[in-house]
Amino acid sequence: MPPLDTVFAALADPTRLAIVERLAARGELPVGDIARPFAITPAAVSRHLQVLERAGLIERRIERQWRFIRVKPEALAPVESWLARQRRHWNAALDRLEAAAAGMSKRGRT
Amino acid sequence: MSDQDLRLERLIAAPPESLFALWTEPELLLGWWGPEGYEVTVEALDLRPGGSWRVTMRPPTGTARTLSGVYRMVEPPRRLVFTWAFDEAGGRGHETEVVVTFDAAPGGTRLVLEQRRFATTERRDAHQGGWSQAFDRLARIAGR
Repeated sequence: MPPLDTVFAALADPTRLAIVERLAARGELPVGDIARPFAITPAAVSRHLQVLERAGLIERRIERQWRFIRVKPEALAPVESWLARQRRHWNAALDRLEAAAAGMSKRGRT
Repeated sequence: MSDQDLRLERLIAAPPESLFALWTEPELLLGWWGPEGYEVTVEALDLRPGGSWRVTMRPPTGTARTLSGVYRMVEPPRRLVFTWAFDEAGGRGHETEVVVTFDAAPGGTRLVLEQRRFATTERRDAHQGGWSQAFDRLARIAGR
């Protein structure tokens, strides 16, 4: 599985994020349709797709003469679990901060 | 708000000055930073833009973990911005930026914590401003 950094870096570019969003909404698109909403060259599209593929976010499918791209549904799982872990960490920390702040005002410190 | 949203907001019954101190004075930080039962040590806390911080958390059993980063903005008692990453085998793990704001509100302070999930500082700098929005969208995708 690609490291989290690679996945985040791939998604940090607005065009690539938009490509992933569009693919997530549509399921699968022919390669030629991917670039349609963006004012970029086919070469730039191809580079973006390479980055997304290396990050494990998309996969290609070839059916006779047509080439399709789709999002790998499992690709965002590491991102999701990382986010959930961070959220748990901060929620617990803020609970303790709240208790510490309450202790502080009891002792009369501001 | 989805489970993936890393914007946390709390109303805490204490003035912003107290909360800012709890985040930035080592002896106060020790009181709440680590989970229950953990031994926490503050190895560095150089509170100025560009200054480093480093905290180790040792659980009752198991391996200690070290977190570190660099302060980017220090604006007492209103705002604190710092980078954040765990030490991993083979170097620093995924680095993010944490922004904590303390706003006086009726009954205390509204604390807002945002964690931005950039991969490297260089990338963050290259995409300044777009991060928050980009990752809100990402969170929606991930939450599907």
